[in-house]
Amino acid sequence: MANPPSASSGNARLRQTSLWLFKSILPFAALAALWQFATLFFPAFLFPDLLHIVRDVGQIFTSWDMLSAALVTWGRLIFAVAVSLVIGIPIGLAMGLSRGIDDFVRPIVKFIMGVPALNWVIIVVIWFGSVELRISFVLVMLCVPITVFCVYDGVRAIDRKLTDMVLSFGASRLQHVRLLLWPYVKASAFTATKLNVGNAIRTVIVAELVGAPSGIGRELDMAKNLFDMPMVLAWTLVMVTMGFIMSFGIEQAERVVLRWRGGSHGRE
Amino acid sequence: MAVNKLAPVNASVKAGAPAAAVVPKIRIDRARKTFVQKNGGAVEAIRELTFDVAANDYVAIVGPTGAGKSVLFDCLLGLKTLDSGRIEIDGQPIANYIGARSGRITRIFQEDRLLPWLSATDNVALGLQIRGVPEKERRDIARRWLADVGLHEFVDALPSELSGGMRQRTNIARAFATAPEIILLDEAFSALDEITAMKLRSDFLTLAHHQKMTFVMVTHSIDEAIFLGNRILVFGAPARVVHEIAVPPGAAEDRVVADRIRDEIRTWISASGRDASRTVNSELENE
Repeated sequence: MANPPSASSGNARLRQTSLWLFKSILPFAALAALWQFATLFFPAFLFPDLLHIVRDVGQIFTSWDMLSAALVTWGRLIFAVAVSLVIGIPIGLAMGLSRGIDDFVRPIVKFIMGVPALNWVIIVVIWFGSVELRISFVLVMLCVPITVFCVYDGVRAIDRKLTDMVLSFGASRLQHVRLLLWPYVKASAFTATKLNVGNAIRTVIVAELVGAPSGIGRELDMAKNLFDMPMVLAWTLVMVTMGFIMSFGIEQAERVVLRWRGGSHGRE
Repeated sequence: MAVNKLAPVNASVKAGAPAAAVVPKIRIDRARKTFVQKNGGAVEAIRELTFDVAANDYVAIVGPTGAGKSVLFDCLLGLKTLDSGRIEIDGQPIANYIGARSGRITRIFQEDRLLPWLSATDNVALGLQIRGVPEKERRDIARRWLADVGLHEFVDALPSELSGGMRQRTNIARAFATAPEIILLDEAFSALDEITAMKLRSDFLTLAHHQKMTFVMVTHSIDEAIFLGNRILVFGAPARVVHEIAVPPGAAEDRVVADRIRDEIRTWISASGRDASRTVNSELENE
């Protein structure tokens, strides 16, 4: 019979949590201290005071105009990542299942992958009048190839013996995909989503800078024009936090959906 | 490991195997299969293979590694097609049989091949799911089979939470759950430790007897072939029958009979080709 949790085990857990928190905060605290130290030697428009930056972050979260700009950018990110899954998963799956499709589609996807994000921005400015279409197109073009190759690799990595097992029970092509491939595709989709969030966050501002009437890009453009360095840094912090929140959400969903995968090899 | 509720099998189970029916359960007639390699060379896997398996027959195939035994099983499941020759089940060409009676012929692999994201119940129910059995019904059947192989306490466990023996029991339960008429055992017990393998062989034989099943097994263990089979086919490489031995009831417990069968198999494997005998003899030495 299991023993009831004792006070000492509770203390141990508290110590462990405190240690984890300390380890997590320490690198950021060191970076902040270094920044604050730099403020002593540089003018405020280059290295503004930390308190000033924190005040501006507070302003972003308390002003609806600014907060809505952040939410618009966040919405664009989520939309682009979701669309890239919808487009990329079937393509990656088809490439993994058919050598013919792989041979035909792979060069096209690689070509798209090779186009720099800034080039896409210029192309869409010429192609499309709608700002939302421009931004979505750039982000989707950036995210789809990553999704395609993650799903493709996931399908190719499936043990041939499992395929033989499923087929030996008389599974149809559709059942093969649904019962065997889809769980692996889900795992690959999570990997792609994590990569895409990082890439999309880095690109969305570039896309928004080119004539978007709303979003963090526009706010950053305004702050740049005013030489408002604290606000630029405040928006940067918001963007990074946004990325952390999205990654955390994806990882939590992954833990639930892919419970069967357990921990990493050789780790608790 | 959970205790199996099934009684241990004895020689009388095998003694009850019926005589051959008029139409054999499986008929393989002059089957040939050759694979073309990337360098243009050809590898002959099956050569003029001919044999029958009667309903409720327990046939063990022994032979050298690479003798095309697994290719034969792929052909029996309709996963590969022959270059020439015929495979019939219940007098029907294999393609008709597979199409009409999906799941009636199943295979137990050397490795458990369980899907890691499915519970033991859902793994056992997989073949039924493929056949379109409603969820509640297939899960009930799966739980009953898990209980039959002694895993009633592990119905919700993931494969990663089961021992090797438990996973192989789940694998066996999955094969039986579809109520197959024919089971193909592809070195099904070779990955297990000998004590677990002995128990599982015994349980398998009891289940096969109760379910009035026909099975064909490929094994590298002569003792396993004597224990489970009532006929042993000695294969040469490429796959062809070089000798057939009828296993009398109780042969596994009778040292004299078992030794005679072992010697007979060794002799025929040696005669079937130097390369083949080298492979098998090294395996026999390991036994």
